[in-house]
Amino acid sequence: MTTELLIWLIPLPPVLAFFLIVLLTNKNKALSHTIAVGAALLSWLGSMIVFVQALGVEHLGEHPLGGEPINWLPLGESVDTYFKIGVLVDPLSAVTLFFVAWTVLMIFLYSVGYHNFGQPEGDHDHPGLPPHGATVEEHGHQRSSPVGKHVVPSIEPMYSRFFAFIGLFAFGMFVLVLSDNLLTLFVGWEIMGLCSYLLIGFWYAKPSARDAAIKAFITTRIGDVFMLLGIAYLYSRAGTLTFSEIFAEETLHTLATIPSGVLGLSAAGLIGLLLFIGTIGKSAQFPLHVWLPDAMEGPTPVSAMIHAATMVSAGVYMVIRMFPLISLDPTTMAVVAFIGAFTALFAATIAVAQNDIKRVLAYSTISQLGFMIAALGIGAYVAAVFHLVTHAFFKALLFLGSGSVIHGMEHGVLHTGNHKVDPQDMFNMGGLRRKMPITFWTFLIGGFALSGFPIITAGFWSKDEILADAFGHGHTAVFVTLAVAAFLTAFYTMRQITLTFLGEARTKEAEHAQETPWTMTLPLVILAFFAVTYGWVGIPEHFPALGGLVPNWFHEFVGGTLAEHPEAVEFSVWPLLTSLFVALGGLTFGWLVYRNVNSAAEDRLQIPVLKNKYYFDEIYDRVFVKPAYWFAETVIYKFMDQSVIDGILHIFGPVTDRLGSAIRNYFDLPVINRFFGDGSANVTYWFGGKLRAVQTGRIQQYLMLALVVFIGIGAALYFFLLA
Amino acid sequence: MVPLSWYLIFAAALFSIGLFGVLSRRNAVAILLGIELMLNSVNINLAAFWRYGDVLQMTGQVFAIIVFAVAAAEVAVGLALVISVYRRRNTVVADEINMMKW
Amino acid sequence: MNFIDTHLLSLILFVPALAAVIILFLPNGENKLFHWFTLGASLIPFVLSLVVWFRFDATQSGFQFEEAYVWYEAIGSSFHLGVDGLSLTMVLLTTLLTPLAILASFSISDRVKAYMMLFLFLETGMLGVFMALDLLIFFVFWEVGLVPMFFLINQWGSANRNYASMKFLIYTMGGSLGLLLAIQMLGVLFGHFDLVRLYEGWNSLDPTKTLLGLPVSTVKAIAFWAFTIAFAVKVPVWPFHTWLPDAHTEAPTAGSMILAGVLLKLGAYGFLRLILPLYPNEARIFAGALAVLATAAIVFGAFAAYAQTDFKRLVAYSSVNHMGFVVLGIAAAAFAAGTNDATIALNGAILQMFNHGLSAAGMFFLVGVIYERTHTRDLGKFGGLFPLVPVYGGILIFTSMASLGLPGLNGFVSEFLVVRGSWPILPVYTAVAMLGLLFTGAYILKGIKMVLHGPLNEHWAHGEHKLTEINTREILVMVPLMALILWIGIWPAWILNVINNVVVTLF
Repeated sequence: MTTELLIWLIPLPPVLAFFLIVLLTNKNKALSHTIAVGAALLSWLGSMIVFVQALGVEHLGEHPLGGEPINWLPLGESVDTYFKIGVLVDPLSAVTLFFVAWTVLMIFLYSVGYHNFGQPEGDHDHPGLPPHGATVEEHGHQRSSPVGKHVVPSIEPMYSRFFAFIGLFAFGMFVLVLSDNLLTLFVGWEIMGLCSYLLIGFWYAKPSARDAAIKAFITTRIGDVFMLLGIAYLYSRAGTLTFSEIFAEETLHTLATIPSGVLGLSAAGLIGLLLFIGTIGKSAQFPLHVWLPDAMEGPTPVSAMIHAATMVSAGVYMVIRMFPLISLDPTTMAVVAFIGAFTALFAATIAVAQNDIKRVLAYSTISQLGFMIAALGIGAYVAAVFHLVTHAFFKALLFLGSGSVIHGMEHGVLHTGNHKVDPQDMFNMGGLRRKMPITFWTFLIGGFALSGFPIITAGFWSKDEILADAFGHGHTAVFVTLAVAAFLTAFYTMRQITLTFLGEARTKEAEHAQETPWTMTLPLVILAFFAVTYGWVGIPEHFPALGGLVPNWFHEFVGGTLAEHPEAVEFSVWPLLTSLFVALGGLTFGWLVYRNVNSAAEDRLQIPVLKNKYYFDEIYDRVFVKPAYWFAETVIYKFMDQSVIDGILHIFGPVTDRLGSAIRNYFDLPVINRFFGDGSANVTYWFGGKLRAVQTGRIQQYLMLALVVFIGIGAALYFFLLA
Repeated sequence: MVPLSWYLIFAAALFSIGLFGVLSRRNAVAILLGIELMLNSVNINLAAFWRYGDVLQMTGQVFAIIVFAVAAAEVAVGLALVISVYRRRNTVVADEINMMKW
Repeated sequence: MNFIDTHLLSLILFVPALAAVIILFLPNGENKLFHWFTLGASLIPFVLSLVVWFRFDATQSGFQFEEAYVWYEAIGSSFHLGVDGLSLTMVLLTTLLTPLAILASFSISDRVKAYMMLFLFLETGMLGVFMALDLLIFFVFWEVGLVPMFFLINQWGSANRNYASMKFLIYTMGGSLGLLLAIQMLGVLFGHFDLVRLYEGWNSLDPTKTLLGLPVSTVKAIAFWAFTIAFAVKVPVWPFHTWLPDAHTEAPTAGSMILAGVLLKLGAYGFLRLILPLYPNEARIFAGALAVLATAAIVFGAFAAYAQTDFKRLVAYSSVNHMGFVVLGIAAAAFAAGTNDATIALNGAILQMFNHGLSAAGMFFLVGVIYERTHTRDLGKFGGLFPLVPVYGGILIFTSMASLGLPGLNGFVSEFLVVRGSWPILPVYTAVAMLGLLFTGAYILKGIKMVLHGPLNEHWAHGEHKLTEINTREILVMVPLMALILWIGIWPAWILNVINNVVVTLF
C-alpha cells in the first residue's frame, strides 16, 4: 500500500458507508452507525498515516505527496488529450486533513449519543420531526412525575439516514481537501452543499427546517455559479485546472497581465474575484451570510461539522489554496480583506443580541471566518491557515458542547412535560455547571479559545498572529476592525457562558438537566485537548519569554506550501497588548454585565436592529425573493409564455379558421358549388326539362318525328354528298 | 305492258295512304291497318320490280312472301298487344296510351 | 449470423416496426401479452445497439456500419443508413429509453394493443432519423415520428390532450415544411440526396452557379433558414418552445419520457448533423442570435419552471432549461468553429443531450409514479410525503440532483463542459446563463420541498387515498437510469471518448 494509493482511498470509506446504509442497512440502527463510525475511523486512520508521512518529507511544498494524476475527461484537440485529476498532499492539505479527520471522527461518534442510541422509540415520533420522548414505566432514577410514568428522550426515527448523509458529507470534504485540481475541489464542494441541504432539512416535516435548507442551498449556489464561471475562465486561460500547473511562474505571469475586460481587472483578478464569490457564499460572508444562522435548524452535529468545522472552512480553504492566484491582483485582495473584516465585525455585533445558544455560535462562526478571510486579504497566509485549524477545533467543540447543553435541557423539558420552554434559549438555562460538569469545563475551554484567552488556548495564538500581521504590515483599518470584533467576540462568549452555566438555574427545566452520555462527552474532551494544545505548534519566534522555546513548526511547515516562503512578521508589542486587552477585557466585561441579568427583558443589548440581524433577511426577501417569484410567475410564465408567445400561436388557429371559413363561404360555396356545380346541374336540368317535351309517350308522334328526321337526314345527305 | 312507273306510283300512293293512316288514326287497330297497308305496298313494289326486272330470279317473290309472313306475325303480335293494353286501360285510342310519357 | 452482422442497423431500425405489425395480429384483450411482447421486442434493438457500440471503432472518422439500398433512383435518393459517434450515442439513448418507457407503460390498461403498436412505430421513426444518411430518408423518418406521438398524447393523455396534441403536431409539422422544401432544393441542386456525398461536395460547390435563377449563396441561405426553423421548433429553441410544456404535461408518462428523452434530441441532432457541417458560414453569422435564444431558454425556462404549481409542467420547463445548454454549446461552436473551446463546448452539448435524456426521462417517470397514486399533479396538494414513500423520495432526490447538475452526477460534467467551452467564446451569454443555473436549483428544490418535505398532508396517509410505496417494476425502470447517471458522473470517459472523437474529426 503506497502512500499515493492510501491518499486515494481516504475518501472512500465514508461514501461506501453512505451507499451501504442507504441501500442495505437502513433498518438496522446499530449496524448503520457501526458502519458509519467505522468508516470515519478508517478515514481517520488513513489521514493520520498520511499526515505522519507528510511530516517526514523535506520541503513538502516542493515535493508534495500525490503521484501521477489519472485521465478523466477526454477533451480537446487531439484524441489523446485528457483532463486529468489527481490527489495532492502538500503542507496545507496535510494540516487541513489532520483537523478534518479528527473533527469528522469526533462528530460521528458524538452523533451516536446525540440521536439517543439505545433509547426506546418515541410515543408519537414521526420520521421528519425531531424525537419527542418516550414514556417508560416507572423504574426511573429520579422522582417520577405525578402521573406515575417517566418520559425519556427517544431515539431519532431517521437514525440511519443521518449517518448515511454525514458519510456522504465526509466523502465530499475529503475529496475537496485531497484534490490536486479545482474541478474535483468543486465536486467535493458541491457534494457538501448537497449534504448541507439534506442535513439542515433533516427534520423535513418542520417548515422552518425545510425552508432553511432551501435557503442554504440557494444562497450558496449563488456563490457557486460565480465560482463555476471563475473555474471555466481559469481553465480557458490557463489550459489547466491542476494547482501545480496553475501556480507555475509563467502561467501566473500570463494571468496577471492579460486584461479581463471587466472593471479593469487582470484575468487573475477577475478569476480570483469570481472564485472568491464562491467563498462568500460557502463561508457565509457578507452579503451571502443569511443562510448560516437558519442552518441551525439542523441537528447539532450537523451544525458542528458542516457549519463550523468543515464545510464553511472549505470556502476559506479554497481561497487559501488559490492564494498565489488571488494575491496577484491588489483590487481583488482589497475586496477580500474588506469583506472579511466587515463580516467579522458585522456578525459579532449581531451575536451579542442572540438568545439561542446555537445562533450565537453561528454568528460567531461567520465572524471568525471573516477573520480568516481578512487575514488572507492582507496577505497573512500562515496566520489564516493557523486560525482555520484552531477555529475548526474549538468551534466544533463549542457546537458539540451546545448540543450537549440542549440535550441536557431537553431532558429537563421531558421531565417537567412543559414543552413550551425552548431548550435552546439561554435565558431558560443557568447554573448548568453543576449539572453538566464535563460539558461546562470543555465549553469553557472552547469559549476561552474563541475569545483568545492568552497562552493556554489555541485561539489566542492564531488570532494574535492575524492581528500582529495586520498591524505589522500597516493595515490599520483591518487591524482596528478585527480588534473590535475580537473584543465583541470575547464579550458575547462570556455572555453565553455566564447565562448558560454560571449563576443559578432560571427554570425548572434547567434544574433537571443532566450530563450527557460518554459518546457525547468524550469527543468534547478530545476536542478540548486540541483547543488547548494546538496553539503551541505555532508560537512566534520573537514572542516574549515563550518564543523560541519551541520552534514555530507551523509557520515553517505551512509556509512551505507557497513557492516563496512567507516571512514571519516582525514582532511588535502593540498587537500583543491589544490582543490581551480585547480578550481579557471582553471576557471580564461580559461576566460583569451578565452575571446579574436574568431575563431577556433585562438585557439591554437586545436592540431590535441587532436582534433582527439588521433586517437583512427581510430586505433580501423583499428585494430578491419575492420579486424573483413574481418575475418568474407573472412576467415569464403568465405574460411572456402564455400571453405573448402562446398568444401569437393562438392567433394562427383562429386566423386559419377564419381564412378557411372565408374561403369556404365566399369562394367555395358560391363559386365552385353554386355557380359551377349547381349551375351546370341546373342548366342540364333546364335543358332536360325542355327536351323531355319530346317524350309524349304517343307513338304516332314518335313516328312522325322519326319520319321528319329521316327526311331531314336524307335531304342533308343528298345535298352534301350527292350534290 | 303498263310502264313500271304506274306500279311504283301506285305503291307509293298506297304507302303514303298507309303512312297517313298510321300517323293520324286514333284507333290503334286502325294504325295496324295502316301498317298493313304500308307493308302491302312494299309487296306490290317488290312484285313489280320482279316482273319488270329479271323474271327468272326468284328473289322478288321470295322477298314478298317473307314480307307476308312478317306482316302476319307482326299483326298477330300487334293485335295481341292492343288487346292486352285494352284489357288494362280499357281504351284503344293511341293517344291515350302514353304511359311512356316523361 | 452473417445476415445480422451485415444488417445491424436495418435490424435495429425495423424490428420495432415489424413487432408492431405482429402485435396487430395478436388476439385482442391480452394486455399482459402485449406488455411483455412489446418489452421483449424493444429489448432486441437495445441489445443490437450494444453490439454496435462495442464494435464501434471510435478512432475512425466517418460513418460505420453503413448500409445502402436502392430506393428512389429516379430522384437520386437511396436508403442509406450509417452511424458515427454522434448518432450512435443517440441510437443508444433511444434504444435504452424505449424499453424503460414500455416497462413504465405496464400500468396502461386501456387499448393496450394500439398503444404498444404506436410506441414501436415511434421507436422506428426516431431511430431512422438518427441513422439516416440520406436527406429524404431523414425527412421521412422525421415525420414518421410525429404521428404516433400525436396519437399517444391524444388518446392516452390528460385533460387538455386535444389542444396539446394538436399544438405539438401542427407546430412541429409547420416547422418542417421548410425542411422538406429545402431538402428538395438540395436534391435538385446536387442530383442526389446522399449526406455523405453532400458533405464532400458541398463546399466545393461553385458559388457562381445558379439554381432556378438564384445564385448558390442565396440558395444556401434559404436552405439554412428552412433547416434552422425546423430544428429550432423541435429542440425547442426559445421562443418556439411553448408546445413543449403542453405536450409534455398532457402526454402519458411513457410518452413524456420519450418526448423529453429522445424527441427533443432530434432537433439538436439536426443542428449538429446538418446545419453546422453544411452551413458553417451562415451558422457563424447567426450564432450570436442563437446564443441569445439559448440563454433565453436557459434563464426563462428556469424562471418559468420555478413559477409552476403543476409538477409535470415544472419538469417540462426544466427540459427547456437543459436543452438551452445544448443550444448554447452549439451556438458557441458555430461561432468559433474549429477552436479547442468549440470542441469542448460541443462535447458538452452532445453529452448534455445524452444526460438530459436520462435525467428527464427519470423525472417524468417519477412524476408519473406519484400521479398514478394521487391522480393530481398539483404541487400544493402533496406535502410531506417523505415518510410515506421513503424509497420514492430517495430516488426523487437523486434524480433531481442529476437534473440540477450536482457534481458527481452526469449533469455536472456536461454543463461544466458547455460553460467551459462557451465562456471564452460568448462570455456575456454564459454569465447570464448562470442565472438560469441558479434558478434551476430553485425550482428543483421547490419541487422536492412541495412533494416530500413539510408537514405531512394527512389526506394521503390514511384510507383509500393512502399512498403506496414505489413498487419493484417502477424501481426497475429507474435503476438503469440512476446507474448510468452515477456512472457518467463519476467516470464519463467511456461515452465522452466516443463523442470527443467524432467532434474532433467532424468539426
